[in-house]
Amino acid sequence: MEKEKENEIVAKLREILKEKIVEVRVPRKRRIFVRIEMEAFKKAVKHLVEDLGFKHLSTITGVDLGETIELIYHLAYKGSIELSLGITVEKKNPNVPTITDIIPGAILYEREVHDLFGVTFEGHPDLARLILPEKWPRDVYPLRKEYTLENLHGSIFKDEEGEK
Amino acid sequence: MSYGSIIKIPFGPQHPALKEPEHFLFEVDGDIVVNVKPRIGYNHRGIEKAFERRTYIQNIYLAERICGICSDAHTTCYTQAIESLLGVEAPPRARYIRVIIAELERIHSHSLWVGIAAHEIGFDTLFMYVWRDRETVMNLFEMISGNRVHYATNTIGGVRRDIPSQMIPKVKKGLDLLEKRFKYYLNVAQTEQTILKRTENVGILKPKDAVDLCAVGPTLRASGIKNDVRADDPYAAYDEIPFHVITHDGCDVLSRIIVRCEEMLESINIIRYALEHMPEGMTRVRVPLAVPEGETVSRVEAPRGELIHYAKSNGTMKPERYKVRSPTLGNIPALCKMLLGGHVADIPIVLAGIDPCFACMDRMSFIDVKTSKKWVWTMNQLKKHTRKVK
Repeated sequence: MEKEKENEIVAKLREILKEKIVEVRVPRKRRIFVRIEMEAFKKAVKHLVEDLGFKHLSTITGVDLGETIELIYHLAYKGSIELSLGITVEKKNPNVPTITDIIPGAILYEREVHDLFGVTFEGHPDLARLILPEKWPRDVYPLRKEYTLENLHGSIFKDEEGEK
Repeated sequence: MSYGSIIKIPFGPQHPALKEPEHFLFEVDGDIVVNVKPRIGYNHRGIEKAFERRTYIQNIYLAERICGICSDAHTTCYTQAIESLLGVEAPPRARYIRVIIAELERIHSHSLWVGIAAHEIGFDTLFMYVWRDRETVMNLFEMISGNRVHYATNTIGGVRRDIPSQMIPKVKKGLDLLEKRFKYYLNVAQTEQTILKRTENVGILKPKDAVDLCAVGPTLRASGIKNDVRADDPYAAYDEIPFHVITHDGCDVLSRIIVRCEEMLESINIIRYALEHMPEGMTRVRVPLAVPEGETVSRVEAPRGELIHYAKSNGTMKPERYKVRSPTLGNIPALCKMLLGGHVADIPIVLAGIDPCFACMDRMSFIDVKTSKKWVWTMNQLKKHTRKVK
């Protein structure tokens, strides 16, 4: 069968998460996209890592959707099947529980998203700046869509002149 | 044995000559590293934001410039992502050419690394030898693509340049020379005391830690984990080419040297096979400028390990979001683990062991927190200290 293993994984996920699953797509062999409700997030990650063998976290992608920010966790099964697990958080109150307790390797990816999107990962051991300079103005998250290259330049210069 | 006071050593970030500066804050007890805090971003160029401002065609050239060593890995990953969004596939001949360029790149990157690793342990003769032989592969690149670094081979829908039949004997001749030399270096790495004394049981990364910390590439394979995107999630023509995934279970810097040397030999075999079996036909298909709405994940085994790109399109000529995660970032948590419990003198070679774009180490200051005494060591002074201790 073409996507046998992929469909098996999706079936197991449906069994555990039931109606918390918003969307599932298997566009081709070795690729799965799953979007779930926020409240089932930790449970889903735990299940994927501990029971289904998705031990490798490739990275975490942030996407600005306007009112919300989407976080996509790219998890790999035996280096082969790449499952992208998506959740959305409110831009006004972007809080997500950390997954560093389940996957220690998530530590820098969470810091990266925190830096560039302003998402707070609750329970992360140290959410210090990772990428942006120490002098970078607070509350300016460059990968959010409201920041264009033009107004980003504005905020940086303002900071350097000490006005902010 | 504890000396009772923890000393903090900031390490990096500035280096005037190399790319990718990084900063590490080491806490040491006597000569033993007890804590490591990484800080990256000194070379952050905002490329992901820049992707959103440029057309898909312009972004090929931007992707090529993410890295100066594995430039081809990034364009392969990028063009695959956009091809998947467009629903087109590169023609068979183009997929073989992608493999040939990718494996030549692996040889050039790994041999560059072997040279640097030799230099870090004070074995400069080996450094000179390896880099002399590396010129062979650089010359092949120049012959095939006209360039030594940015080969600009990939484009959306295939490759921009064919490898004509009169070039093939020249490539094969180069490969024969490289094979002879790398077999020799593999033997040197396994028998030469200068290397063994500095790398055996240094920078240990146990298999469980390697998996938990999501290490990638040769770093992961040198801890005995058989993961390779080329075999596990085949792209280009890798599903049609037989090859071995090299692993080694020593878990130390020596294993990382051996894995990379053997991978170069394996790459030579892959290129030979690809040259023999390359199908005839066209090398690219025409694609539209605008990309329909969608999202995709593209993965490639770059010389340093798994490279992953995520692309989201919105139906226009520019991407909505483009995310890049290069293998060096994936290996930093594992690197911190390797350094723990090691000697200050081993920091350079362990750091070099993951093959970061090696940038950060020319200036460092040592601070004793109790007396607030500060001093600065250059990379050369640290190396002198290294040699005295050993």
